[in-house]
Amino acid sequence: MNRKRLNLIVGILLMLIFVVMLFCFQVRQTEVAIVTTFGKVTRTVTEPGFNLKWPWPIQSVHFLDRRIQSFESPMTEISTTDGRYLLFSVYAGWSIANPRRFFENFGGSVREATRRLEEMIDSRKNATVGRHPFSHFVSTDEKELKFAEVEQELLEQVNQDAGKIYGIEVKFLGIKRIALPGGAGGVTESVFSRMRKERQKLMQKLQAEGESRASEIRSAADRDREKLLAEADAKAKNLMGEAYQQAAQVLETFQKNPDLAILILKLEALEKALNERTTLILDERTPPFDLLKNVSTNRNY
Amino acid sequence: MERHIKTKGLVNLAILLVVTLGAFAAAHYSGSVAGLTATALLGLGFLVALISFFQMGLELREREERLELDELARKTPGSALFKETDAERFPARRALQQFEKYFSPALAVLLLLLQAGGVWGLWNWTARASEGPLTRPFVCMALFGLLAVILFFRGVYSASTARIERQRLMRPGAGYLLLGSAACVAVVVALGIDGYNAPQEAEAHELQKAGFYIARGMLVVLGLIGVENLITLVLEIYRPRTPGQEQRLMYESRLVGLLCQPGGLFSTIAQVLDYQFGFKVSEKRFYQFLERNLAWIILAQLGLLLFSSCFVVIEPGEQAILERFGRLVPNRALLEPGIHIKWFWPIDKVYRHRTERIQSVVVGAAHEEEEDEHEHGLGVMQWTVAHKKGELLLLVASRPDAGETNESGQAEMAVPASLVSVHIPVQFQITNLLQWATNYSNPAELLEKLASREVVRYLVNVDFDWLLTSGRQQAAELLRERIQKRADERNMGARIVFVGIQGVHPAVAVAAEYEKVVSAEQEKEGKILEAEGYSAKTVLMGRAEASKRLAEAEAFAARKTNEARAQALLFTSQAKAFASAPGVYAMREYLDVFQKGSAQARKYVLMVTNTQDVFQLNLEDKLRPGIEDVPLPAPKTK
Repeated sequence: MNRKRLNLIVGILLMLIFVVMLFCFQVRQTEVAIVTTFGKVTRTVTEPGFNLKWPWPIQSVHFLDRRIQSFESPMTEISTTDGRYLLFSVYAGWSIANPRRFFENFGGSVREATRRLEEMIDSRKNATVGRHPFSHFVSTDEKELKFAEVEQELLEQVNQDAGKIYGIEVKFLGIKRIALPGGAGGVTESVFSRMRKERQKLMQKLQAEGESRASEIRSAADRDREKLLAEADAKAKNLMGEAYQQAAQVLETFQKNPDLAILILKLEALEKALNERTTLILDERTPPFDLLKNVSTNRNY
Repeated sequence: MERHIKTKGLVNLAILLVVTLGAFAAAHYSGSVAGLTATALLGLGFLVALISFFQMGLELREREERLELDELARKTPGSALFKETDAERFPARRALQQFEKYFSPALAVLLLLLQAGGVWGLWNWTARASEGPLTRPFVCMALFGLLAVILFFRGVYSASTARIERQRLMRPGAGYLLLGSAACVAVVVALGIDGYNAPQEAEAHELQKAGFYIARGMLVVLGLIGVENLITLVLEIYRPRTPGQEQRLMYESRLVGLLCQPGGLFSTIAQVLDYQFGFKVSEKRFYQFLERNLAWIILAQLGLLLFSSCFVVIEPGEQAILERFGRLVPNRALLEPGIHIKWFWPIDKVYRHRTERIQSVVVGAAHEEEEDEHEHGLGVMQWTVAHKKGELLLLVASRPDAGETNESGQAEMAVPASLVSVHIPVQFQITNLLQWATNYSNPAELLEKLASREVVRYLVNVDFDWLLTSGRQQAAELLRERIQKRADERNMGARIVFVGIQGVHPAVAVAAEYEKVVSAEQEKEGKILEAEGYSAKTVLMGRAEASKRLAEAEAFAARKTNEARAQALLFTSQAKAFASAPGVYAMREYLDVFQKGSAQARKYVLMVTNTQDVFQLNLEDKLRPGIEDVPLPAPKTK
């Protein structure tokens, strides 16, 4: 092919592409397009597909994201009806309800729209939360909690103005976070202090329970021991009584010959009374020393 | 020859203009912060090339004028009717001198201002702009790659021409062509990295991290060129001027010129290419080839690009959304893993997502810190040590019995709530890509918010002690169900796989007290066990003592009865003996007992008849024995 002709074809092709790009635009299903003619909004394209336009600078196309955007408000301090303070943040999901108004208000900037919506939600949030007591947000009683009701109330309040003023519809709204004001000497520190006391109370209770239980166990053990010993003593005495009773039968035998019995008992007693350290002073009449009575001595006087 | 050089300068200028516009369009379209910064460098290059092209024209005119006048003077010597001044005779030379004297420093000052303004303005802008998303980064990457190649070959050609043909006015443009090529390569790198870390990832936060650093790097280079420009300007003011000496180009940067030097980076790359191809690809031949076949090359490039865009390969674990002119393609809206044919770009477009990959959002501390933890390896996680920056404290309702009670007996607390530290990972998978990608602009972020809401809602009504101990598993399952329900209500197209509440614990400030309670529980158990030990010992010892006493009593009883029995038997026998000889028996028994019993006793027998005598006996025991107490040895018997 002739070089010049080829160059011409390539040039025309490139030109064609350039022209197509100038005159056409696509809108994705996740987008809406605002067409401005000399800066004025003349057309809104909400359906996805292929579209035509006049080239820049006659017409410009601005694409807006039609999907649900989400954002989170910063934590702000709010007083409840019962005079308690909470830090509160909410999240919201919003989408463009009126593209034209949205574009005119924010120039198509989602960030700008989010900022404005955030300001509005912040204001409504303070008013709405301020009408509820603390127990609607934090309570062990399920019936007292009004999370969903507060969220719905806030959503209705925000949607009253967001649609009309901003061209935005807030699809849903929820409580993202609840906290207590912090800082030195703040509520958070007081709560920490109370939590510590609560734990100390529990700790002391446990310690006392331990001591109490230990004391009970010791007492029961002592009681059981004494009971066992008392029972054993009783049995022992019973046994000894029986033994004495049986031993007493020997007296009947003794009674048959009381002189002998007394003699034997005396002799037993005498035997037991005499021991190594006994000193006996006897005279000559005491048997068997009476044998010495008639023996001559070497006495001279 | 001179006109030829001017044409080359014009080509350089045209290339820099087209490339600058193309780079700006691509960078603006993609939102690449590095691309837009590179465009600023290219724009500066265009301005320098324009100035040098203008000076080329002036020098060419001056040379032609001088030749014409020399020719005229040679043909008609002394033909001047009037005596003219040099300015009147050499207007082109005068114009060149004026340019070098006034315009060149003024343009250098303008360049300096643009460089300084560019660095100052773009420095902060890069930080803001890098947070924006990238649009079709890989298409722009390809375009910047093409621009880099064009600039590289043209730059090397121009630098060689300037060096070989001693055309100093070609140098500034050639230098900026090569600098532009380097900038485009840097943009390709930035787009490649940032495009790979595309914001499809749930946890992606910084959208153009690489772009940001590369843009800042380019601004540093621009700043250095500006500083060099300033120094050159100051030195040029005090430089002694010698007639006939070649003027230095004040707008030319020596730093940029280094790129064109034979030992420079680009010259080295060009030499490597020449060596590989076996001929001077970077100079004449390749350039001539490029010039002849540029149309074909562009056509082939376009055709190849369009043809390659007709095929799409979806990797395992991925799904893609197929759109035709922005609409979902009926029956083919979702592409599963495998190879697919589609209409070429821009008719059909594909948006791919990793749907099977388990992703995670975290309710509580930031995700990067979690990654840091993994990097740091296994550690000990204690409640008393903050393991996350910015501990997230949530409210938990306190039971009324934990506080004071008023006169009516109702619970009353200053703030009936406690604070807990929370770090809960929520893992999910995309189950319906169309819902996930088309309903929400940032679904992962929204999922984190929904999960946070459910966690907050759950905690304000839960028994914290139960949650900390036996209720963890049940709580995790309940939270998973609640988050799933909320996600389904919002048509998010996600399945909640796992909710981990291992990171829920008392705030660090009070965690020590909680641990003390655990210690107290142990202490309580210890005391009870100790008492149980005492109990076991006491009862057993008591039992043993009782047994002992019983045994003793039994022994006593046995002894007593047996003794009695034996005594009775003995007595019966003794009675018989006593009956037979009462006196003798009695005496015998007496003497027997006396003998045995008194064997060890001390005995004094008084053998006196006079009973009136008084005997005094000292019965005291000696404490210390005397000599008389020493027993005498027995006499020896023979």
